Amino acid sequence: MRTQEVSVLQAHNLACVRGRTELFTDINFSVRSGEALVVEGSNGSGKTSLLRILCGFNLPSEGMITWCDTPIDEHESYQQQISFIGHQSGVKLDLTVLENLIFAQRMVGSNHSVSDIKEIIRRVGLSKQKNVLTRKLSAGQKRRVALARLQLESRQIWVLDEPLTALDKQFVIEFQEVLKDHLDQNGMLLLTTHRDLTIPSHEAIQLNLS
Amino acid sequence: MFKAIITVIQRDLLIAVRRRAELMNPILFYVIVVTLFPLGVSPDKNFLSQLAPGVVWVVALLAALISMESIFRQDFDDGSVEQLFLSQHPPTILILGKVIAHWLVTGLPMLIIVPIMASLLYIPSQAMPTLFITLLLGTPILSLIGAIGVALTAGLRGGGILLGLLVLPLYIPVLIFATSAVGAAINGLAYSGQVAILGAGLILALMLAPLAISASLKVSMS
Repeated sequence: MRTQEVSVLQAHNLACVRGRTELFTDINFSVRSGEALVVEGSNGSGKTSLLRILCGFNLPSEGMITWCDTPIDEHESYQQQISFIGHQSGVKLDLTVLENLIFAQRMVGSNHSVSDIKEIIRRVGLSKQKNVLTRKLSAGQKRRVALARLQLESRQIWVLDEPLTALDKQFVIEFQEVLKDHLDQNGMLLLTTHRDLTIPSHEAIQLNLS
Repeated sequence: MFKAIITVIQRDLLIAVRRRAELMNPILFYVIVVTLFPLGVSPDKNFLSQLAPGVVWVVALLAALISMESIFRQDFDDGSVEQLFLSQHPPTILILGKVIAHWLVTGLPMLIIVPIMASLLYIPSQAMPTLFITLLLGTPILSLIGAIGVALTAGLRGGGILLGLLVLPLYIPVLIFATSAVGAAINGLAYSGQVAILGAGLILALMLAPLAISASLKVSMS
């Protein structure tokens, strides 16, 4: 899925209205592969809505998003380049950690072996829990399973809505390295967070919706 | 693409097995209603055999309806519905896999126990194959149509009531043709026309319902 070519995601005059509430208007930005966009803003300012619009799940009230100069709704494979983690982690509670990742790997069609998957589980610190039902894990551990899925999917665009929620300090530091590696490999990062996040040797584009 | 369907079916069956209580609900409902019906109405053999096709089918329809919500509810709750649309496989294929898995845990058990249920209602043995065929063709249609309704209402509070209102009118043709076929078989009449219509309905539903479910899920997600 990854490409070494420079890809550009652009937002043109985006606006989002929910009911009678105008969440944001006139949002413009351009993110290139190897860059990160950090969306900031108070609660209810439309951060999640913006990320969902960028994924193509929701339509903007006005404006347009282009991927490599093509509107995303006309781009054949745009969504197949996205890994998304929303408020809910997309983890099946009645499957074990290992099963969750094996099924996720089959769905995206990546060519990781089971031993690769176990290595990713080790890296997110869940080796002891790999055969435990996800239902029995803590909120932070569930989040780690979702973040392990990101590394498994090997996609170019990571869209992360509050990825650091419930994670401990040590894991946040380790995860910052994962984000750095992703950007170093020509990946793109679009995320919201209320916590301080530093991606080593990368300067993120800040977008404040407040 | 075939692998993707198998993966979804395997995953959903594994989840269903681990949620045994939910798995048993529709089949228990089916068994309880069919068992209680002769006690509540009349144990008379001729009376029951006349009513039997309608009873078996109405109960099958309601059992399918009460189990429908589980098909996408959990996906909405745990955030995995979005992952359907980000997969490298077409969402319609994955959705078809989910509906097949749902039918395997709700429709198939009904088919397996139907000889016992039919004997409780004195359905003549010559009508048994017809009852079996109508359920084999009709219950997947119920799952496919029901999934459209669930996909539309999954994002709503109190969607269950709306689901019944949306889906029941679409179930009625299946009910009419299926009970008519079984009734004809009981009376020794030709029933191939009704069965052919059910078969055509199944093919149509298999082709169109995944598209409608996919569009409905997109609406609910937004």
